[in-house]
Amino acid sequence: MFDVIGQKATEKLWKDFRKCFDSELAEEFLQSLLTLMQIVFVVNHDYRRNIDKFNGRYQFSSKDGEVTVGVIFSNSRMKVVEGVIDNPHITVTFRDGRTLLNFIISPRQDILGSMLKHDVGTKGNLNYLYKFGFMAKQLQLMMPQVG
Amino acid sequence: MTAVTLYDIGLKDFTLESLPRLKELRSEYFARGPEICIERARYITRYLRYHDDAADSSELRQAKKVNYFLSHKSAQFHDRNLIAGSTTSKALGAPLFPDFFALTLWPELETVSDRKKNPQKLTPQEASELNLEIFPFWMDKNVLEITRSRFDNPECLQLFENLVFFIAAKAGCISHAVPAYTSMLQYGLSGLIEKAAAHEEEMAGAIDANTKQKADFFRAVQVSLQGIITHAEHLAEEAEQLARIANNPEDAAEFAKMAAICRKVPVGSAATFREAVNAIWICQVGIHAENINMAMSPGRLDQILYPYYKRDIAGGHLDIGRTIELVGCLWLKIADNVTMVPEASEELFGGAGTVPAITLGGVDQNGEDAVNDLTYIMLRVTELLAIRDPNVNARYDYEKNSQEYCRRVSEVILNTKSVPAFFNDKSNITALTGQGERLEHARDYAVIGCVELASSGRDYPASSSIMMNLAAALEMALFCGKRPITGEEQIGPITPDPSGLRSFEEFWQIFKIQLDWLIEQAITLNEYMGAVHQEMMPSPLLSALFIGPMDKGEDLIRGGALYNSSGATHIGFADVVDSLNAIEQAVFIEKKFTFGTLLEQVRADFNGQEGEKMRLYLQNHTPKYGTEASIARKNARNMVQHLFDLYQSHTNYRGGPYRPSYWTMTNHAGLGGISGALPHGRKAGEVFSSGMTPVSGAAPELTACLNAVAELGGECVPGCWALNIKYTPENDVETMAQRFAQTIEAYFRAGGQQVQFNIMTYEMLLDAKKHPEKYPELMVRVSGYSAYFKDLNEMMKDELITRTQYGLTDGLAVPLPPDVKGDS
Repeated sequence: MFDVIGQKATEKLWKDFRKCFDSELAEEFLQSLLTLMQIVFVVNHDYRRNIDKFNGRYQFSSKDGEVTVGVIFSNSRMKVVEGVIDNPHITVTFRDGRTLLNFIISPRQDILGSMLKHDVGTKGNLNYLYKFGFMAKQLQLMMPQVG
Repeated sequence: MTAVTLYDIGLKDFTLESLPRLKELRSEYFARGPEICIERARYITRYLRYHDDAADSSELRQAKKVNYFLSHKSAQFHDRNLIAGSTTSKALGAPLFPDFFALTLWPELETVSDRKKNPQKLTPQEASELNLEIFPFWMDKNVLEITRSRFDNPECLQLFENLVFFIAAKAGCISHAVPAYTSMLQYGLSGLIEKAAAHEEEMAGAIDANTKQKADFFRAVQVSLQGIITHAEHLAEEAEQLARIANNPEDAAEFAKMAAICRKVPVGSAATFREAVNAIWICQVGIHAENINMAMSPGRLDQILYPYYKRDIAGGHLDIGRTIELVGCLWLKIADNVTMVPEASEELFGGAGTVPAITLGGVDQNGEDAVNDLTYIMLRVTELLAIRDPNVNARYDYEKNSQEYCRRVSEVILNTKSVPAFFNDKSNITALTGQGERLEHARDYAVIGCVELASSGRDYPASSSIMMNLAAALEMALFCGKRPITGEEQIGPITPDPSGLRSFEEFWQIFKIQLDWLIEQAITLNEYMGAVHQEMMPSPLLSALFIGPMDKGEDLIRGGALYNSSGATHIGFADVVDSLNAIEQAVFIEKKFTFGTLLEQVRADFNGQEGEKMRLYLQNHTPKYGTEASIARKNARNMVQHLFDLYQSHTNYRGGPYRPSYWTMTNHAGLGGISGALPHGRKAGEVFSSGMTPVSGAAPELTACLNAVAELGGECVPGCWALNIKYTPENDVETMAQRFAQTIEAYFRAGGQQVQFNIMTYEMLLDAKKHPEKYPELMVRVSGYSAYFKDLNEMMKDELITRTQYGLTDGLAVPLPPDVKGDS
């Protein structure tokens, strides 16, 4: 029963998430990803195991200053904060939503290529980014197939 | 007196058809896909999580964790190979080292098995274990993160993480070493343990820190070597079990034989050729428990194994066919592992092997001809198997080694189309004696990894410590300390705008300011990481197999080797020299363009009609490295001399100098791909030239090209170089081998240190790019190592296609087909 409710609750989010890959909503990729991630952590026990005992602080910022978001994992929970957070383990600065999407998740995770081209910059412990990349990739793989 | 007794040095009677075991093993090798092995990561993590004692010294902690892993490592027999032991739990394994960069695999744990380019299999269970158990433990414990926290995220580390200036390879490994196996073979590991125990006993009760540290080191040696012995016992148990259940008497006998060998060596001394081969291999397996699988090179096996071969042959216990079979089995064992390469790194490192180098021929410690029957047997095995690893290298002393030997090596290169590489004893021994190595030690050099030189078992050169992008320094000199790719960020010192310069000498000074600043940053970071390695990754096991540590009571990482150094290699040498040539000639001598106009066009990537006109002029009418042009020769010499002087003025954390070298792996493609246009007419994004090789198309005459490179060789290049030459294949192999050998000799007499070949045409490589299925085994020389062409990334394939191809008969460059850009 809980899974069914969860599935309903996430239906729209999955739709938005998928649209990011179809390009026109790439700018909203980060918001879409983080919202979906929060919901799936709640409804999916297996997915939640990723943040069991995990403490991680992430700062995401767009180069134009339009987006500044902090993500905090603590006590098996995920919290999204508008603005700057203290002591992030990793700060990711990205040119735009598309470059962030390419950097983290799809169609081919291109972390090194994005950094070489300076589409994305990082400061801090990259291992946190690798873990985040895994969780994002898992979401992508969990994405319901369009009938 | 020659040690060659073979009636046919080509050993043509021995083929894969007459050696069915090798044929079968080779076929299986090519059919295998790589699988990720998590065994080491699992047991090292378990040890550190549950058993580690923080009160232990760094050396002892390392020894205990390596012992723990080796004691739990599975004993596997994947095929009918006659040598027991495997680097990993998989038939072709990519081991994970979370101490370094294993966590880069994290994002693709669920996709790495099926990715399009170079997939590496990983089971869902193992992926889950990595995600939930292993990787979280290492979040802030690998070398890079410990360096970051210990040194407060220093500027030099941030510069490295930009990836476009230099690579600090210690974040991923030191490895790169050639052990001395002679003592191990003579006394067995038990003998080495006894020696270490005696030293420890002498120091018992010491209270001064220095003596206590030495005692701890000797204790660590014993613990780590005991790990190898335990693993060998497990191999023996497994082989005995397999002998009991074998389907046929022949297999049962082979397993029983392997079991008996593992009971005897490496714990005890080796008496036979086969025991010696297996003892060396099991020790290599042990070394890989401690050190990441990158360029751990077995060294001069034709010398080390020769006494065992000679004795067995004389006693009638061995024949040539069986020797070839055993050596072939060893080659295939050495090739049993690959590096884990995350998809994100394919652009820079795709297709690279683990580059364990084997060195053949040359002279002995007395300076006499060292070529023997085993040299030719190993050449024949290399020719028959034609596999990527081991990276086989042939030393040649044109005064001491026979011309027959040189011709035979040439013939193997022509038949395999790429291996082995040729090394000049005269220049390389000079390079090492120039570093203060005793002559007899320098004569006993072996090749490490790609091309680097080390006195066997005496030299700990950390030869890939720094990979410096010379083009970054050039761009910073052109743009006042900034690079186009990093935008307005001030990276290096603010130097004057070149538009206002009045002489080339002024620009050369500015270039050196930026270059020296970058090198200082790279050296600073190497020193930081060296200190972290001392705390986190000592090598007591490898130290026990070296000359020096067991006498000094000091781990290799603390300077225990007889000779210590750190290596720095350089990317973009030819492109930067040609750019300097272009600036000197076109701006300051001819005054064809102002520096300001040149800079504008470089910034604009030579766009538009005017830009293209300038680009063509720069490309076609300015002096080129690889020709006899005096400006080009001067600038190349100055660059090599400056780098040598600068590096040598620094002393590393182990008390040794920095040694410059010139090999690039595949970095010249990746870093070229992200660099802007350069003053010699190179457009933005084009690959750089590899190693020490002149820019493609820049050196039209082979003799002039070889001379221009050769004159740079010797003392100023102690880390050696990779020169890539591509020859048009000819039908008459014998005649070609003759000319080939003559060319080698002339190049070596002129001072050349190393050269490697691809015997293939533009058209063949284009076809291989379009139709990889037609060339599944096509092996090419990249820059110091071999790769399968199909595994390389697109930029690297294009670089290989467009490399200058020479006709050996006329010595002229073959024109690049007009429509070739490398892209299909």
